[in-house]
Amino acid sequence: MSTPHHHEHHEHHISTARQLWAVGTALIFLTIVTVILGKYVAIPAPFDIVTAMVIALTKATLVAAFFMNLYWDVKFNAILLVTSVIFFLLMVSVTLLDTLYRNDVVPSF
Amino acid sequence: MSNESAHGSHVQHHFVDSDHQFDTAKMGMWVFIVNEILFFGGLFCAYIIYRTWYPGLFQEAALQLDTFWGAVNTIVLIGSSLTVAMAIRSVQKNQIKGLRINLLITIALACVFMVIKGFEYSHKFELGILPGSLYTFEGIEHVQAPVFFSIYYMLTGVHALHVLIGIGLIYWIYRRATKGEFSSEYYTPVEITGLYWHLVDLIWIFLFPLLYLIE
Repeated sequence: MSTPHHHEHHEHHISTARQLWAVGTALIFLTIVTVILGKYVAIPAPFDIVTAMVIALTKATLVAAFFMNLYWDVKFNAILLVTSVIFFLLMVSVTLLDTLYRNDVVPSF
Repeated sequence: MSNESAHGSHVQHHFVDSDHQFDTAKMGMWVFIVNEILFFGGLFCAYIIYRTWYPGLFQEAALQLDTFWGAVNTIVLIGSSLTVAMAIRSVQKNQIKGLRINLLITIALACVFMVIKGFEYSHKFELGILPGSLYTFEGIEHVQAPVFFSIYYMLTGVHALHVLIGIGLIYWIYRRATKGEFSSEYYTPVEITGLYWHLVDLIWIFLFPLLYLIE
């Protein structure tokens, strides 16, 4: 009995070995860059932490897009990831609105 | 009976087809990853609050962490993420031997990570750098020094727990691959365990600069 599928059968994306090695190499390169910038280059605050976080975010994006395959995946999964990051930032911002503006830090903290 | 022929043996009856089941399982894993990010997010939030309160403490205390071994562990985890991605590529191409070899390399790299982490911990334990009230180290002037190390041990400890669970999961996938349970037609557990392992890498990508690279 031939029951045609209602939606198209889509092939799962298969990365080439070269693509995966390129991503891995880029990640290691960025790790070395962040160590050199963090340890041997005097970047004035707050740009030291900003630089480190920009590099970390770039690495995280590479992992999410090409190792976790979000680049080729249905967009809903990428939306889930981005939403979790937004809610994390919301949690941090709302908490900082309290802790940054206290007159006195609670002594035992 | 037509259902049986239209479905592969692994497809549960409530899914339209194999793809439907695969995508659903993967989305479920992504929802779990959202939960994991918010779970670690609470710890990162504690880190951010204390760093804004005591920036000097973080600079002073971070000197006790060895950047070299932190960087080595970063590269080890990136390598293990690469081998997991290669493992998934192997099973997609129906190369089960390649799948098993890449899974074994991943387990080996994860063990290297844990050994290095173990040496780092035991060195600190000897110095009396322990979390909270167990802290006895006198090399840091700042009165809140135990707070930094409580955050350090919580973040790296929970992360290390994830690495240990990951080793168990990847070994389980390896065993199932050895029994011939996976093929290019069905590899959902490999894909989902892979996502978990990449998450472990993802968390460390932020932990490393935040803990080891404070200047």
